[in-house]
Amino acid sequence: MIGLVEGPIDVAALIAAVADPEHGATTVFLGSTRREGGRRAVEALVYEAYGELALTELQVIADESARRHDARIALVHRVGRVPAGEPSIAVVAAAGHRPEAFAACRHALEAVKDRLPVWKQTVYEDGGAEWLDGLGVPLRDAAG
Amino acid sequence: MSGTAREGRLAAEEVAEPATMAVTVRVFASLREVLGTDRVLLELPAGTPLGAVWSHLPSAAVEPPPGLRYALNHSWAAPGATLRDGDEVALILPVSAG
Repeated sequence: MIGLVEGPIDVAALIAAVADPEHGATTVFLGSTRREGGRRAVEALVYEAYGELALTELQVIADESARRHDARIALVHRVGRVPAGEPSIAVVAAAGHRPEAFAACRHALEAVKDRLPVWKQTVYEDGGAEWLDGLGVPLRDAAG
Repeated sequence: MSGTAREGRLAAEEVAEPATMAVTVRVFASLREVLGTDRVLLELPAGTPLGAVWSHLPSAAVEPPPGLRYALNHSWAAPGATLRDGDEVALILPVSAG
């Protein structure tokens, strides 16, 4: 199960999607918008996707992780405005045992970070906003 | 121009390779904001490679960032790919998903 969603991520549905009696270990990773209260406070992250390629790439990543670690994968990324404290990405991996479940989850997440065509804009509480896409001034990652 | 000469000229134009081609360029994030639109229609010289698209953008003064990647008709593509009339290009700035 993969997808781009505009509202809150239904984590329970993702867990249910990978549940299987043969897969006794399930890991869940949620990456959420950090407030960064000690610095310039973040109000939200706004995510923009190249939808056609992002959906293809989510499926490719999920299939890679599943095949490599003999796991079942659910992978969903949120688009639009994600307020501080809310998840923007969920990776759920179910495998026979915990090493494979952790590894599959990690593999999928790192692949998303490396190549999913999605960009985030940091929106600050002071009204400023900034894209993290190489053209703007990059800041330390503000989420997961 | 006589009718025969005109017909001959039209026939020659019909078989000649077009000098230019129309390509749609999709842009995202800060590049979309710089350009003020999420897609740009470019008329490019026939045979232009994918990697040369940036230099034809209205904002060519903005340097392409290191790590710029490309998609052609919704699939990843190398900068050396040759474009064809009607292609859709996407300029993939360094991503920041998650």
